[in-house]
Amino acid sequence: MSNNGKTRKRPAPPQKPSPVNPPPPKQRAASQEEEEFLDEDVFLDETLLETEDDLILRDSEQRQSLASRLTRWARPPLSDAYKSASKSILFQQLEIDYVIGESNRELLPNWSGPAAIIRIFGVTKEGHSVCCHVHGFEPYFYINCPPGMGHDDIPRFRQTLEAKMGESNRNNKASMFIRRVEMVYKRNIMYYQQQDSNPFLKIVVSLPTMVARCRGILDKGIQIDGVGEKSFMTYESNVLFALRFMIDCNIVGGNWIEVPAGKYKTAKSTSYCQLEFNCLYSDVISHAPEGEFSKMAPFRILSFDIECAGRKGHFPDAKHDPVIQVANLVTLQGENQPFIRNVMTLKSCSPIAGADVISFDTEREVLLAWRDLIREADPDVIIGYNICKFDLPYLIERAETLGIPEFPILGRIRNSRVRVKDTTFSSRQMGTRESKEVTIEGRVQFDILQVMQRDYKLSSYSLNSVSAHFLSEQKEDVHHSIISDLQNGNAETRRRLAEYCLKDAYLPQRILDKLMFIYNYVEMARVTGVPISFLLSRGQSIKVLSQLLRKAKQKNLLLPNVKQAGSEQGTYEGATVLEAKAGFYEKPIATLDFASLYPSIMMAYNLCYCTLVRSEDVRKLSLPPECVNKTPSGETFVKPNLQKGILPEILEELIAARKRAKADLKEAKDPLEKAVLDGRQLALKISANSVYGFTGATIGQLPCLEISSSVTSYGRQMIEHTKNLVKEKFTTLGGYEHNAEVIYGDTDSVMVQFGVSTVEAAMKLGREAADAISATFTKPIKLEFEKVYYPYLLISKKRYAGLFWTNPEKFDKMDTKGIETVRRDNCLLVKNLVNECLHKILIDRDIPGAVQFVKNTISDLLMNRMDLSLLVITKGLSKTGEDYGVKAAHVELAERMRKRDAATAPTVGDRVPYVIIKAAKGAKAYERSEDPIYVLENNIPIDPQYYLENQISKPLLRIFEPILKNASSELLHGSHTRSISMPTPSNSGIMRFAKKQLTCLGCKTPISNSDRTLCSHCKGREAELYCKTVAHVSELETLFARLWTQCQECQGSLHQDVLCTSRDCPIFYRRKKAQKDMGEAKVQLDRWNF
Amino acid sequence: MEIDSEKNLLRKQASYISQDDKFVMKEVYQGQQYSQIYFARLHLMRTLLYSLLPNWKPHLPVCTILGLEEGKECTIVGTLYKHMKLKPSILDEYSKTRSAVPLVKPHNFVHADDYLVLEDESGRVKLAGTVLSPSVYVTGNIVGLHGKETGAGEFLVLDVLEAGLPPQIELPLKSREDKYVVFVSGLHVGSSSSNPLLFQLLVDHITGHLGDEKEQNLASQIVHVVIAGNSVELPRGLLNGQNLAPKDQSRLSSPIKELDIMLTQIAAGVPLDIMPGVDDPANASLPQQPLNRCLFPGSSVYNTFRSCTNPHSFDLDEMRFVGTSGQNIDDLDRYSEAKDRLEYLERTLRWRHLAPTAPNTLECYPFTDRDPFRMESCPYVYFVGNQDKYDSRLVKGSEGQMVRLICIPKFCETGVAVVLNMRTLECHTLSFGTQF
Repeated sequence: MSNNGKTRKRPAPPQKPSPVNPPPPKQRAASQEEEEFLDEDVFLDETLLETEDDLILRDSEQRQSLASRLTRWARPPLSDAYKSASKSILFQQLEIDYVIGESNRELLPNWSGPAAIIRIFGVTKEGHSVCCHVHGFEPYFYINCPPGMGHDDIPRFRQTLEAKMGESNRNNKASMFIRRVEMVYKRNIMYYQQQDSNPFLKIVVSLPTMVARCRGILDKGIQIDGVGEKSFMTYESNVLFALRFMIDCNIVGGNWIEVPAGKYKTAKSTSYCQLEFNCLYSDVISHAPEGEFSKMAPFRILSFDIECAGRKGHFPDAKHDPVIQVANLVTLQGENQPFIRNVMTLKSCSPIAGADVISFDTEREVLLAWRDLIREADPDVIIGYNICKFDLPYLIERAETLGIPEFPILGRIRNSRVRVKDTTFSSRQMGTRESKEVTIEGRVQFDILQVMQRDYKLSSYSLNSVSAHFLSEQKEDVHHSIISDLQNGNAETRRRLAEYCLKDAYLPQRILDKLMFIYNYVEMARVTGVPISFLLSRGQSIKVLSQLLRKAKQKNLLLPNVKQAGSEQGTYEGATVLEAKAGFYEKPIATLDFASLYPSIMMAYNLCYCTLVRSEDVRKLSLPPECVNKTPSGETFVKPNLQKGILPEILEELIAARKRAKADLKEAKDPLEKAVLDGRQLALKISANSVYGFTGATIGQLPCLEISSSVTSYGRQMIEHTKNLVKEKFTTLGGYEHNAEVIYGDTDSVMVQFGVSTVEAAMKLGREAADAISATFTKPIKLEFEKVYYPYLLISKKRYAGLFWTNPEKFDKMDTKGIETVRRDNCLLVKNLVNECLHKILIDRDIPGAVQFVKNTISDLLMNRMDLSLLVITKGLSKTGEDYGVKAAHVELAERMRKRDAATAPTVGDRVPYVIIKAAKGAKAYERSEDPIYVLENNIPIDPQYYLENQISKPLLRIFEPILKNASSELLHGSHTRSISMPTPSNSGIMRFAKKQLTCLGCKTPISNSDRTLCSHCKGREAELYCKTVAHVSELETLFARLWTQCQECQGSLHQDVLCTSRDCPIFYRRKKAQKDMGEAKVQLDRWNF
Repeated sequence: MEIDSEKNLLRKQASYISQDDKFVMKEVYQGQQYSQIYFARLHLMRTLLYSLLPNWKPHLPVCTILGLEEGKECTIVGTLYKHMKLKPSILDEYSKTRSAVPLVKPHNFVHADDYLVLEDESGRVKLAGTVLSPSVYVTGNIVGLHGKETGAGEFLVLDVLEAGLPPQIELPLKSREDKYVVFVSGLHVGSSSSNPLLFQLLVDHITGHLGDEKEQNLASQIVHVVIAGNSVELPRGLLNGQNLAPKDQSRLSSPIKELDIMLTQIAAGVPLDIMPGVDDPANASLPQQPLNRCLFPGSSVYNTFRSCTNPHSFDLDEMRFVGTSGQNIDDLDRYSEAKDRLEYLERTLRWRHLAPTAPNTLECYPFTDRDPFRMESCPYVYFVGNQDKYDSRLVKGSEGQMVRLICIPKFCETGVAVVLNMRTLECHTLSFGTQF
C-alpha cells in the first residue's frame, strides 16, 4: 500500500539474493537466473521499458504488488553485528530435532561419515529466526558391565558388537556402528542398594537409529569371550535423541540459548532462517528460565483457516473439492493485534475493510501464494482449529491431486517437503485418538482443537461451542452446501465467505490469547523440560520421564529399559470413597481436603524407585526397622536417612517452585509477567500430580506398581483415619455442642457435618479439625479446611450439589458434581431444568417452588408449548449407516435426510441434531428421530413421553429423591400430566385427503366462509378472543426481533443477511421458528380485519 | 347552568387529513431479515447526507469504509453501531453459569466502555476521538463523519454531520384562530392505579359538561383529541394461550368495555384519534397497527372515532402532527443518555428518524424497500406519549422550522392531559385530581 516506496529502497538481504518473489512456476526455469540478480529498482525500470506489452505489464504489476506484500511480511532485517557474526546469538528455542548428515569437518576434524546433527529453531529478542546446527553430540545408552569384564576386554567387546551390527545391517554402508564403549560407574535406579555404584558400559553409537538395533542385539544375547552367551538389560536406550541432547545440555523446552560470538560458524544457507550457523555441542549455553530469561521472544503466530467448495451431499474430499479461500492472521507473541491479516481467494472477491484480499484465478496460485506467505512471514507457531486433522493434510493432499510438487515446502528447510502420516495416539488419560501427523520442520503446530480436547471437558468441541463457552460469543456457521453457492456467485458473495473465513481464522487466536495457552504451554515445557511439540503430541508420561532422567543424571542413576509388560502386571486397588449418606443437608457441611494428597504421601514416606526394598532383600539386607517404612499395602521403603528418593525430591522441587511462583505472582505488576508466572504455577501443579500416575501406568516407561499401590493404600488409610478422628473428637462427650458426622468422603476429601447451624461456626470447627488432624500425619501431608457447603444435596457417590462458601458472609458459587448438566446426548431441556431446580432448591431454598417449576415444565412439554430448541439432541456422525453395528437414531435420520435431499443432509463428520417424534405404536426410538427443521415446517408432534421417560425423569428423580418422599409419583404422575395437546401434522398421509374448513376462533365449530372469524355463539366474546390472538402475535414479534437482531450482532454486520446455520447455537431453531410463525401470525390476525 | 342552556356554544372544526399511510402494513411477510431495512435506511439517508457534504466540507474527498487510507482526511457516511457492554442478549438465557444472585436489570445500559463503529456495505471501522460521544448516539443512526484513519485501523473522528431538521411545509397565510388539541396517554383503564373518576372528569371537560361558561367556551375550541397509547391494561396472566373460564373472560374484556364507553362519550362530541401503545391489545412491533374496531363496538360507530397506527401522523388545518406512544423515546433512554426527554425528541428530529434503535433494540417489522420511520418533512407538533412527566419546548430550525415538542405524561399516574393551542403552538396542561 502506502509504504510501497519506502520498502523498495531497502537493500535486499545480502546473503540471500532471491528469497522473495518466486515467479509463477511455469516460467521459473526461464526467469530464474534473471530473478536472481534483480535488484528491485532495476525491476521497476524494466517494467517501464516494456509498457507496450500489456500482458507483461499486468504480470509485473501483480508481481510487484506481491513483492511489496512479501516485504511487508518479512522479518526485520539483520543488524550489522549479526551479519558479521561478531555478536553472540541469544535466542528462545521452540523446536529441536535432528537430521543425519555428513559430519562437519571444520568443527570436528577427526570425524568422518554420517552423523546426527541437532537442529535448534528459535527466535531472537529482535525477532530474527534462528536455525542452529549443533554438531558432536552422540547417541548412547548403557548396559550392565558383565562381571569379570575389565577395561582390557572392552575393545574386544566392541568388535564383537560391531560385527553383530554389521551382520544385521548388511545393506547399511555405514563405516562404523559402535563408535566406542566406555566403562562408567553408575547405579540402577530400581530398588534400594547399599553399594554406591556398579560398573556399567556406555555404548556410543554413530547414529540415533542404531540405538534400537543395538538394543535388539543385546536383548537377544551375544557371545562374549570368557563369559559365554549373554543377554543384556539396557539402560536409557529408549530416550529420544533430541530429548537426550536437551537433558545432557540442561536445555528445557522453550528456554533461551546462547552461542557466544566466535564459537559459531555461519553456515551455508539450507534453511529460510535469517541466522543459520554451526556450532559444537559443548559451546551451547542454556539459560535457566529465570529473571530476564523467563520472557518470551516475539515469535510469530500464524492462525489460519481454509474453505473448500464441497460437492452437495459430501464432506469435502481433497481428491475432488477445490480449496477456495485461505484466511491468515499473523500475530507477534505479546501483541494483541495481528500485523498481517489477509485472505487468499479463488476468483475475484470484493475488498474487505481491515484485511488484505488477494484474489487468484487458479487454485494453484492460491496454494502457492499461501506457501509464499508461510515462507516469508515465517511463522514459528502455526495455530488453527482442527488444522492437524483437516486443514493441513487437506492442503497437502490437494496440492498432490493438482500436481504441484513445489507446494508442500512449508518447513524452514529448503527443498524439504512436509510429510504426512497417519498416527494413532493412545494414552490412558485420553484413550486412543487417530490423527494425521504433518511434520513441518522448524515450526510448532498448535491445534486449538487438540488442546481443548486435552485440557477441557466440554459437551461439544465445535469451534462454535468452544467460542461460546470461552469467549461467550456465538460463532456464525455457514453450512458447506452454502459455501459452494457463495463461491459460485459473484465477487460480493465471495466477499461474504471471505469475511466468514477470516472470522474463523481469528477465533483460534482469540481463544489462544484468552486462555493464555502460549504462556501455559511454554511454562509447562520449561518446568518439565520437554519440547513444546511433545506437550500436544504425547501423553503425560514423557513429562515425568524427562524430569526423572534429568534428576537421575544428577544423582548418577540409570533408568532401566523395562520391556513393555502390557497389562499383565495387573491392577491395584485405587482410591477409597466413603459411603455417601444421601440426603438434603440443611446444615453447613465442612469439607476437609488433603492438599495435593498423592505427592505429599510420596514425599512423606519417601516412596521412590530407589528406596523400594525388594521383598527378597528385606531380610537379606537386615535393615533396622526404624530405617524403613512398611506401607499399608505391604511394601517396604527405606527412610531418607539411608537413601533419599528422587521422586520425592522432584516433587519437593516442583512444590517449592510452585510456592515461589505463587509468591512472585502476588508481587508481579506487569500483566505479561503475571501470565507467565500463573502459567508456571499451574504447570507445576499439574506436573506434581502426574508423577503418581507415571508410576502406575502399566504400559508406561517405567511402571512401578509397588509405589502406586502404596500411595493409594496410604491415601485410603488417611481418609479412614480422618473419619475416625473426627468421629472421636467432635462429640458431645468431648465438649462440643453436637456429635459430628462424616457424611461422605472422596479420594482426597472428607465432608463433615458438625451439627452447627451457621457457616461461621462450621468454618471454625473445620479449621480446628484440620489443624488437629494434620498434626497426626507425617509431614508434608496436610489436611486443609477450605470450604463449607450449605445447603448440600448429596445424591450418591460422586454426585452432589451445594452452595460453596469460603467466607461466612456470602457464598461464592453453586458447585455441582456428577449431575447431568453437560452430558452430550441430553437435550438442553434437561440441563435447564436441572439447573433451575438446583437454583431454586439451593439458593432460593424454595422446594415447593422447584416442584412447581418441574410440574409446569412437564405440563408445557405435554401441552406442546415447549421451545423446540430445548428438545434437540445432537450426535456426531462418525461413520456411515452400514458401519454402525446397532441402529442409532442419528444415523437413521441422516440416511432418511439423504433420501429427501442429498445436498443438505449431514455427512460423515457432521453433527446431526434431531428430535424424537410421535410415531406408530411400538416404533423403535431410532425410527422416531427427525430433523428439527422438518418438524418445525410440518408441524409434526414431538413425543413428550420419550422426553419425560428417557430424558428428564432420571436426573430429576436423582435430585428430588433425597428431598421428597414419593418423588416419582409426585413429579411424574401428578394431575399436571393429565392434559395433553398435540398438533396435527401437515404432511401426514391422511391429511392430504382432508378438506380445510374455517373454524370459529373461539370454540372451533366449523363456520361458513361468510362468518370468517367467529360463530354466532362466540360473537359476544370478540374483544376477549381478539386480545388473545393479538397477545400471541405480539409475543412472536418481540421474539422475532430479539432473535434476529442477536444474529446480526454475532455476525457483526447490519447490512448483510444472516447466513448462519449453526445448529449448535441455542437460538437457531427458535429463530427459524420465529421466522415461520411470523408469517402465520399475520394470516391469523388478518382474519379479524373484516 | 340554566343560564347557559340558552346560549349554544358551537364546537370549532378543523380539517383533518391522515398521514398514516406509510405506517399501515400492506406487506406480506416473506421470510426476510432485518438487513434490508438498514440497507434502505442507509441508502436514503446517504443520498440526503451526500447532498449536504459539499456545503459542509467542500474540500474533502468522500470515501467509503473500504476506501479509507491511513492518515488521509476524508468524509464518510454510514450507519453507526454501538458496541455495548451491558446490552442484554437473548443468549444470556442460555449462558452456562447462571449467576447465583438475580441480576438487577438496569434501566439504562450505557457504560463507559461503550464504543461506536461505523458500518456501510463495504465493512466496519471502529471510531475514535472525543467528538462523537457514544452516550449520545445509538445503533442505527446514520451520520456523516469527517476524520482520518489512524495507524491502529481506527477512524479518528474530527467532525460530525447530522441530517438536521427536515424541511417544513409552510402554513397557508390565513388568520389563525385559537383552536385546541388535547393529548392524553397512559389511561390504563382497568389497572389498579387508574381512577375512573379522573378519566370521567377529563371526558366531561372535553365534551363541555364541566365548569362555567368560560371553561365551556374553552372546551368548545377543542377540535381534536389524541390518545397516545396504553389506554387499557389487561390482566397479562390470562393471555397464555389457554382457554379461559367464563369469569376470566369477563375480567379480560371488562376494561375494554369500560374504555369503549368513555371513548363513545368523547367521540360523540369531538374527533378522536386513538393510538396503540406497548400495553394495548395490539401487535408489538412498530409500526403498531390500529387497534381493532371489534374492541370498540360502541365508539367505532362514530365517524369521529379513528383508530390509528403508532407512530401516528396527521394534518390538522394543514398543520403536520407526528407522534408516538413513547416506545422510540423510551428505548433511546435505555441505550443512550440525555439531560431530559425532550432532548431525545430533538435528536430524532435532527437525525430525521423517529426510531433509530429499531430494529436493533426496538421491535419493528422487517421492511424490505422502505423505512417508514424516516421523517421527510418537519412536523409542527411532535408528541410522545407515556412519559413520566409533562414537558414541552419549542424548537426552531436553521431554515425557520418551528416544532413544538411535547412529552405527554401518563394520565393514570399524574391526572394530567396536555392542551395545545394551534394558533400560537403554546401548550398548557389540564390537571385533574380527586383529592383535596
